[in-house]
Amino acid sequence: MTRDELADALRAIVGPRGVLSRASELLPLSADGLPTYRLPPTLAVLPSTRQHVIDVVRLLAREGVAFVPRGAGTGLSAGALATGDAVIIGLNRLTRIISIDPVNRLAVVEPGAVNVSLTRAAAAHGLHYAPDPSSQTACTIGGNVAENSGGPHCLKYGVTLNHVVAVTVLLPDGGVITLGDADGETPGYDLLGAFVGSEGCFGIALDVTVRLVPDPQAVRTMLADFMSIEAGARATSAVIASGILPAAIEMMDGPTIRAVEASIYAAGYPADAEAVLLIELDGLEAGIDDEARRVQAMCTEAGARTVRIARDDAERARLWQGRKKAFGAMGRVAPALVVQDAVIPRTRLPDVLRTIHEIAARWNIQVCNVFHAGDGNLHPNIAFDPHDADATDRVHHAMREIMRACVDAGGTITGEHGVGLDKLEYMPLIFSPESLDAQCRLRSAFDPERRANPGKVVPVHACREWLATPAARALA
Amino acid sequence: MTCVHCGFCLQACPTYLALGDENDSPRGRILLVRALAEGALPLDDPDVRTHLDRCLGCRGCETACPSGVPYGHILEAARATLNETEPPPRLARAVLAMFARPRFLALALAGARVLRLTGIARLLARLPGRLGFACAILAASAPPLATRAYVPSARGVRGTVAVLAGCVMRGLFAHVNRATERVLSTNGYRIVSSPGQRCCGALHAHAGDLAGARALARRNIAAFEQTGAEHIAVNASGCGLMIKEYGHLLADDPAWAERAAAVAARARDVSELLADAGPAPGAPMPRRVAYDAPCHLLHGQHLARQPLAVLAAVPSLDVVPLPNADQCCGSAGIYSLVQPLLAQQVLAPKLTEIARAAAPLVATGNPGCMMHIGAGMLRARIPARTVHPVELLDASYAAAHGATPPDR
Repeated sequence: MTRDELADALRAIVGPRGVLSRASELLPLSADGLPTYRLPPTLAVLPSTRQHVIDVVRLLAREGVAFVPRGAGTGLSAGALATGDAVIIGLNRLTRIISIDPVNRLAVVEPGAVNVSLTRAAAAHGLHYAPDPSSQTACTIGGNVAENSGGPHCLKYGVTLNHVVAVTVLLPDGGVITLGDADGETPGYDLLGAFVGSEGCFGIALDVTVRLVPDPQAVRTMLADFMSIEAGARATSAVIASGILPAAIEMMDGPTIRAVEASIYAAGYPADAEAVLLIELDGLEAGIDDEARRVQAMCTEAGARTVRIARDDAERARLWQGRKKAFGAMGRVAPALVVQDAVIPRTRLPDVLRTIHEIAARWNIQVCNVFHAGDGNLHPNIAFDPHDADATDRVHHAMREIMRACVDAGGTITGEHGVGLDKLEYMPLIFSPESLDAQCRLRSAFDPERRANPGKVVPVHACREWLATPAARALA
Repeated sequence: MTCVHCGFCLQACPTYLALGDENDSPRGRILLVRALAEGALPLDDPDVRTHLDRCLGCRGCETACPSGVPYGHILEAARATLNETEPPPRLARAVLAMFARPRFLALALAGARVLRLTGIARLLARLPGRLGFACAILAASAPPLATRAYVPSARGVRGTVAVLAGCVMRGLFAHVNRATERVLSTNGYRIVSSPGQRCCGALHAHAGDLAGARALARRNIAAFEQTGAEHIAVNASGCGLMIKEYGHLLADDPAWAERAAAVAARARDVSELLADAGPAPGAPMPRRVAYDAPCHLLHGQHLARQPLAVLAAVPSLDVVPLPNADQCCGSAGIYSLVQPLLAQQVLAPKLTEIARAAAPLVATGNPGCMMHIGAGMLRARIPARTVHPVELLDASYAAAHGATPPDR
């Protein structure tokens, strides 16, 4: 089938408004939330129903065409972009919350359901969906499953994997299987665990069954500001060492604070501070104020200038909005942005941040750091002007050095954004060739033809079977 | 301020929610406009035109954007550029031309009033298609409250106010204009007359006819300068936003830039002026009302609290929450005429929420929204009417003056 014939065949399934085939209308799908990557696809299909998705994937299987599942396109690893001739399957029209079962605290949703819409729908039952990535107002549950997304509250409540109990998966060959079980553990291999975080390489989630969590009885949200990152890091370590498990501990550095304060989401962070900590405690009303006082004392001890507790829900929401929209506010600093994602042992936070500052100074770039301090998940954001070739080059050099510094400190290359295209080159820093090969073989079990999100997650040269192909031999 | 493509605007965009295509989302349109600007796409690319035409210009995305991208200005500039290669559709041009000609417009609106008064509009409102909806829009503009005029105790301690008469407001909502004057007087503002006003130019600017908008703006600036009033009160939020943006519109015109900025700085939504004054409470009105925020009031002028303060001044008024009241109703100036199907699609979820709220009144401070939502309710047989917030306050003041009860 030619491209045009394929487009017509897809139109026959989803209707004329469900296929994008002209270069201009494919342009908006050339990027996700990471503006440094632009890969215009050659064809995209926007199914409106579950049956559309199944029929589309079966057609592509028959034709041997690769595909890339895409949700809201808010990912930060260029994972939802099309490599080569892969067809983008946009799942953002499948937004239904199929059912909410307040008694068993479960919900079944379509893959395009927006994260926050589930929490809103569950609110009437005093429940919520715990994983809350910063993009929760836009990102989809399907995308969260693909990336095994975290969010500030995963410190206490766990990541997406801990909240997904079952997924109906459409395999790349068109078969439909169920992984996991809404009623509890399933015997056999934990394929659900393998699927969550597989970045669209194992197939498409047709529906996802997730756990809902009761809203906490009491919440205390605190803001502590410091004149140095080190002091903020000391406070974080002290709180964790004390045995108190906050729902979240988030840190932002001076440049980030100032970008947020200039935005519509200004949260009232002190603009002259070099670090703020946003600490949230939740649980039973009894004892929470005592815990809050202890945390307050630990922050003061570590050098906090002020520690204030949000007086009401409105102030609490404002403090959180500032944190969650921080990355989006970077457009105020410069036109383009590299968002990084790394994890380091929490105790190494001050040294790694010092190293990052040295790297930034050496390459003459500005790094704005946002991090989930409680679990050491670091997001150094570098804003720059993409029209300045020299600056772009320096940014990329610095980024590599930062990633290496995180790995050298005993950390890893992604906490929650996934590998996608962006982190491919770092995979060999973390995994031995044998480990990478094992991942390739797992992928082959789900998708032997490698048609689902090709070219992502595992560098293709790490796959032994690929190395045995004529193409690889020719390259060698 | 540049778009970093974070996607936080997607769920704030009514057309993305209705169509599920990133081409019909703010960041998608920004990519398309950027491609035009960089020459990657030709100016006559039909896809770019289609997706820009589908934008309501509600600016909901600006409220969601952490980077503060001035989307509305990007859209207007892009439309102006596209208009150079291909003019907008004939219907849009005809409507814009009519709004630029006061006598012609007055005649058309007088005709519309006849259709409304004779009940013909209401009779035809259930006809299918564009004609039926146009009649429903007209029928929905009739006053929902029978309020007898009263003489406000004018004190004038808060300064002088020139009221923007507005085109649709003057032609179809004269009762709201009278109410605006009475409630402002009651709250201590002294109304001064302001002859020589024209259409504010908002419809022209949104459609990319920036030259037309500038010509109208200059006439209004001159007219308002003549009044010497401290404030320019506007009771149509779309017009209010336009006047507040006169400084931006004429920034490149050295003869007018400063004057435009000065007039823009004096423009206030009527709810702002009233909120500044309290406003004074009236007589109790035990009615149930849902509030829907006009986009150009909430997202354009960032006024969320003030209209609610107006409603709060009416004792025992039961203001019920309307979920997603911050989302566009689909009216958007002449959008409901030039994109009738999509305008209905955008309106549909709002009508569902209104039916659920079960309030006989829906308050909103913009004539387009009043008519579009009102028409939708009429055709969907939802037993509710739209009302301007100042009408409720005015009825409450009238009752306090011992006039007829604010109901019929």
